[in-house]
Amino acid sequence: MNSPASDDPVGGESSEYEENLEILRQIDFFSGFPLESLKVFAYLGTRRRFRAGEFLFEQGEEDASAFAVIGGRLRLERRSEGPPQTIRFYGPGDFIGGLSLLCECRRLYSLRAEERTVCFVLDQEKFAKALEQFPAQIPRLLQTVVQSITRWEEDFLAEMTEACGRCLPRLGVSLL
Amino acid sequence: MPHARRIPVVKRSLGSWILDGNLPWQGLLLGVIGLFIATRVLPLEMQKRIVNEAIGRREVDLLLVYCGTYLAAVVLASACKYGIQVIETLIAQRTLARMRRALLEHALRLPLSFFRENPPGSVVNAVVNELAVPSNFVGAAVSTPLSNLLTLLAFAGYLLWLNPLLAVISLATYPLAMIVLPLLQRGANRANQKRVDLSRTFAGRIAEAFTGIHEIHGHAAFGVEQKRFEDLIERLRKVRIVWGLFRYGVKSANNFFTSLGPFVVFLLGGWLTIRGQLELGALVAFLSAQEKLYDPWKELIEFYQVYQDGKVTYRRTMEFFDVEAPVAVAPPDRPPLQLDGRLEVRRLDFLTETGLRLLQDIRLSLRPGEHLALVGFSGSGKSTLALCLAQLHAVAEGRIFLGGHDIARLSKRDIAANLGLVSQHPFLFEGTLRDNLLYACEALEAAAPRPSLDDVIAVLHQTGLFADVLQFGLNTPLDPRRHAAIGPGLIRVRRKFQEKYGARFAEVVEFFDASAYLEHSSIAENLLFGTAQRPEFEPARLAANDWMLDFLNREGLLHRLVNIGIRLARQTVDILGNLPAERVFFAQSPMSPEELPRFRRTLERLRRRSPEEPPSREETLALLELALRFTPGVHKTLELGEELRGRLLTARANLRRALAAEQPQAVAFHDAEAVLPFQPILKNILFGNTPPAPPKVQEEMLQTVIQLLIEKDLLEAIVGIGLEANVGSHGEKLSGGQQQKLAIARVLLKSPRILILDEATSALDNRSQARIQNLLETRWKGRCTVVAVVHRLDIVRHYDRIAVMKAGKIVEIGSWQELMERKGALYELAGKR
Repeated sequence: MNSPASDDPVGGESSEYEENLEILRQIDFFSGFPLESLKVFAYLGTRRRFRAGEFLFEQGEEDASAFAVIGGRLRLERRSEGPPQTIRFYGPGDFIGGLSLLCECRRLYSLRAEERTVCFVLDQEKFAKALEQFPAQIPRLLQTVVQSITRWEEDFLAEMTEACGRCLPRLGVSLL
Repeated sequence: MPHARRIPVVKRSLGSWILDGNLPWQGLLLGVIGLFIATRVLPLEMQKRIVNEAIGRREVDLLLVYCGTYLAAVVLASACKYGIQVIETLIAQRTLARMRRALLEHALRLPLSFFRENPPGSVVNAVVNELAVPSNFVGAAVSTPLSNLLTLLAFAGYLLWLNPLLAVISLATYPLAMIVLPLLQRGANRANQKRVDLSRTFAGRIAEAFTGIHEIHGHAAFGVEQKRFEDLIERLRKVRIVWGLFRYGVKSANNFFTSLGPFVVFLLGGWLTIRGQLELGALVAFLSAQEKLYDPWKELIEFYQVYQDGKVTYRRTMEFFDVEAPVAVAPPDRPPLQLDGRLEVRRLDFLTETGLRLLQDIRLSLRPGEHLALVGFSGSGKSTLALCLAQLHAVAEGRIFLGGHDIARLSKRDIAANLGLVSQHPFLFEGTLRDNLLYACEALEAAAPRPSLDDVIAVLHQTGLFADVLQFGLNTPLDPRRHAAIGPGLIRVRRKFQEKYGARFAEVVEFFDASAYLEHSSIAENLLFGTAQRPEFEPARLAANDWMLDFLNREGLLHRLVNIGIRLARQTVDILGNLPAERVFFAQSPMSPEELPRFRRTLERLRRRSPEEPPSREETLALLELALRFTPGVHKTLELGEELRGRLLTARANLRRALAAEQPQAVAFHDAEAVLPFQPILKNILFGNTPPAPPKVQEEMLQTVIQLLIEKDLLEAIVGIGLEANVGSHGEKLSGGQQQKLAIARVLLKSPRILILDEATSALDNRSQARIQNLLETRWKGRCTVVAVVHRLDIVRHYDRIAVMKAGKIVEIGSWQELMERKGALYELAGKR
């Protein structure tokens, strides 16, 4: 019992769970949550590997998972007519799909791996189950969501109003 | 008594069972009883002679002779008594078996309406419990009254011969008993009658509640059900007490009357002996005989009770089943008819028992091979019509002709040989898939050939069950003895899979490699690297295995694993300690929610203790067990370092050597050239773990395996093994879709000329439904007349004719084209969709 092994019997590096916890702590969406609940999310989340070209989700699909990129590169695209349009790329540290943790929705975009990519994945069912245990956190979570929407629109207004033209009447997502 | 067999079982009297089929046994009983009586009277005479002659004249020789005769008689009497009881038991059990057989045979043939009115539990109770009492009566019906009456008469005669006056007075209590006891017994009978009825109702209620247990759980209606039981339990309690009171009343009254006898003998006999009018020896013999009267009398009274209970129970049970079967089961004097597929319905009406008219003036005529769809709103009578066509409902008015024969005149077997019915909620019986598939064919016995494995496989393909059965086969644990024949083939498939596809499926299969640590196996499994052949070497029981503890200690791993256990316990309690015991939270935990409080207490104790003080043995074992469960691929809170992995791999090799030397039969080590005993067949092929993977990749892997099985000619064997999978009670191990596919397959296997489908594909997904529809159109159109009750209109288009039903009537009939053009009821129905 009193051998040095008692401090570190496994002798390994940090565990996947500890890494998950670290990732969650870096994500804005989870910033309002106390450590106790982050531990549960980190525990329930899984790590998934995607091959190059594999879709994480596809446009039109009903899906409810959020992804935190650990390594690799993802491409977000949207199809209307003609070839799919690339919206942007995601890389390590990026978090995608926080809103879908709140409700299963139809995806408006497709997300696919550009290269071999590893993500931390949390699905809505597990998130909702865990959230039930921390009801006091719900107002904080909503606040975070609303703030990020407002911030998004602020940025959008600052950069895009001039060029927007016909989309002007559609502005005001923060007023929803 | 051959005529007794022709009377329906429910009309037979209880007495008719006594001699029927038991004649030789009852005859044998008579012989044994004769001997028995003689051996019982003889000791009395010996008693008298011992006292009067041997002792009186002081002759030792005589004493020895009389005592010897006495002993011989007693031994023989005991042997006779035992023999009588053995024969009685034989007769009772033979009769019970025959009563059950006859009653079940009768009950199975009763009309469906009987089973709608009487829940299955009441039938179970009648057949299983209630027949035991009457059959016990039958067993004892000849021997008990005869042997006891004769004994009684013999004793009474002996007493009269000894001293008529004393005998008459001492026997006077018996007639008195014969007046009082039946009065009490009548009360017992009334109570027993009520008990039989209540027990049946109670059994019925229990069976009903447990059949609908999902509803009870769904509505959390535990209280409601409990209340419904409560009343019955209470009534049953009361009636059983009353029954018991009367029964014991009979016994006690009887005891009282028989105890009066000796009193009279002592008083009168003593007086006579004092006055020298009776020899002392005669008085002893008299007292002895008087006492011996008690046993046969008691047995007679008990028999009387068995008779009364048996009579009441038998009558109540038979009355319950006294319903006539509407049609004959099999034609009496010919093989079942071979009908053509014509179907005609003339002015058919159907009324429920309460007089509700569900079908009215139905007229239909189908050519052989024609396909008809019955559509309409729910409650329009579609299913009722389908069941009438299958002879499951007795028709009130009108007639139905199959192949030109009135179905009211056809036996059940005529119908079954020509018509197949698939109901909406098919019932599967406990047994294998094969048993259920062949059910309809086996029922026809000699009337149809038994389908070959090829026939079965063809039908499995047609109905889309093949993949399911194959999956069952692949999931079956490999029994090295039963499945010995496929072992070498599986190894060849395994080799080929690894060589050719190993790299491609590296992410989906973690191959067993003796030199690599398995991410998806627990520490225990990593150490064993094999399948336990003895229970104490099962991975889950390793921590309780002293030999293993000793080994781990020698390897210097015990403390380290216990520390890993502590760490795992600490993390799990920290993360999940305050969460409810739900699967979603504990799926990735090495600890079950039930174990958590115990580990929390252990941690608490460890925290309070000084570092030098080791955990108790019990705590050590629990922590070791937790550590041995740790699986890196599943439990993410720890990362096993390279050094520890190396130590565990070394221990694996050492364990193998130690086991080989000390426990040679304990573990079958994973060997790429040998089967994995009692592991699923798929695991035997892959020779590795299958971590969770996207369904698409898994499907791809499965297809590859199937391809290899075909190449090595093993597919049929695996399907054969899959057919041996048990479907569980009510087919619970199958999905709703699989159950329906199986129900369709079992009917198709007997190739009926007429097929009735009552929403037979309602539980199938679109693809499976389309497959069945396609099967009907391509293989069965023109060959088999089909009447299908259909809910979804998108699959009726290709039927030759569609009949639209409304409120028990056919409102229009014609092809899809015709009816849509007419813009009538079908058009309306389709428009509403």
